[in-house]
Amino acid sequence: MKFAIPALLVVLPLAAQDVKMPANLDRLEAKASEVVNVQLDGALIQLASRFLSDKDPDEANVKRLVGGLKGIYVKSFEFEEKGQYSPSDVEELRAQLRSPAWARIVGASSKKKGENSEIYLKTEGGQITGLAIIVTDPKELTIINIVGSIRPEDIRDLGGHMGIPKIDIGNGKPDNKDKKDKEDDK
Amino acid sequence: MMDDFEKQLQGAFQRKEPSPFFEARVLGAVKRQARERRASVRMRWATAVAAVLIAVVGSAWQHQRSERAREDSAGKEAKARLELALRITSVKLQKISQKVEGI
Amino acid sequence: MQQSEDAAEPRTFASVLRAQQSMVFSVAYHFLRDRASAEEVAQDVFLQLHKRFDEFESDAHISFWLRKVASNRSIDYVRKRKSQGAVGLEDAPVPSVDVQPADHFLNRRLQVLIGSLPEKPRMVMILRYQEDMMPEEIASALDMPVRTVKSHLQRSLAMLREKIDRSMGDVR
Repeated sequence: MKFAIPALLVVLPLAAQDVKMPANLDRLEAKASEVVNVQLDGALIQLASRFLSDKDPDEANVKRLVGGLKGIYVKSFEFEEKGQYSPSDVEELRAQLRSPAWARIVGASSKKKGENSEIYLKTEGGQITGLAIIVTDPKELTIINIVGSIRPEDIRDLGGHMGIPKIDIGNGKPDNKDKKDKEDDK
Repeated sequence: MMDDFEKQLQGAFQRKEPSPFFEARVLGAVKRQARERRASVRMRWATAVAAVLIAVVGSAWQHQRSERAREDSAGKEAKARLELALRITSVKLQKISQKVEGI
Repeated sequence: MQQSEDAAEPRTFASVLRAQQSMVFSVAYHFLRDRASAEEVAQDVFLQLHKRFDEFESDAHISFWLRKVASNRSIDYVRKRKSQGAVGLEDAPVPSVDVQPADHFLNRRLQVLIGSLPEKPRMVMILRYQEDMMPEEIASALDMPVRTVKSHLQRSLAMLREKIDRSMGDVR
């Protein structure tokens, strides 16, 4: 699937984080069974890039992808039980993404499963300057903000490289699934 | 239309109930299975985080030796964090693509 | 672009377990003719269902999947036991607690005879006469051609009629 994006891709100099992570998310850490919190500003990304090999095709590709980025911020919470966070916890973030600079390019939800996934792109002068992803389900909340010029499909297509799982689009599971599961059970 | 013999067969194969505790046993096994699955997922994340921690610990040792060694470690740590962030982002985007393409 | 599904009455794993346990257990029980083994297989089937529960969109899909997996797991169970050198369950006596009040002797005889069938024809008969599945549905569940299903039904019925006639007189 192609994510609809503007044709021109130009890197613009930017401040570190263009979506402010709501402070109320910090209190969710105490309730979560799993927390992942990654904060990389431009300087750290440039430092990491120097340790990506030009000779390894996968690392060289990542180096090219992140070369123009000014920040990568990931907050992910997993909970043991449902109802440990509420939609209002994310509302402050969504309010920021309703500004004219941001456009929601993908929204997929299932009321039955209580899942919601959104991708937002920020553009200025017709150029991509930011990416935000919000994924919620009853036991998980993940917020990702990438500052700079990046196409969502370029990161998506890293699946299968550098140890990143490639999800089988047919059944939504990584390709290295449990061998005990039999194909004829489907 | 089934003849009498086939109807007799249906009678021989009427459904039976499992034991009274079957339901409770299954629900208990399901809970254990879910716990084991979460532990397995946690192990994968823990492995990724452990790689970062190992880099951090290595960085602390090398910090005393030289500026260059310190920068090397910081760079590897940053690289591990970058890979973790890209891993999470790529998996999420793949799953969103899967949802959208599956409709 | 936005896609969403309206919420129907939420279907829970526990409610499906309660509604379908008899069916799953019975498929395994009539095939294996042993309660403990049948419960072991049935539990395994429901554990598999739980892993994939969110993938199912309808009750009909769940029912079909359960029948299919219960059938295949039961067949696998017998094959695994055979490869481990266990006594074939088809040779085990019919448990006396599960007799029918009427025609119980005939039913017991039928169960013993069906138990003597090879695995695939035996499961075909169970799905046909316990679950009232049509040959096309049975073919899909057991992953075999429809003509093979019909052939198994035809031959098994003919064998059963003949043996019942010989042992008990005309019961048709």
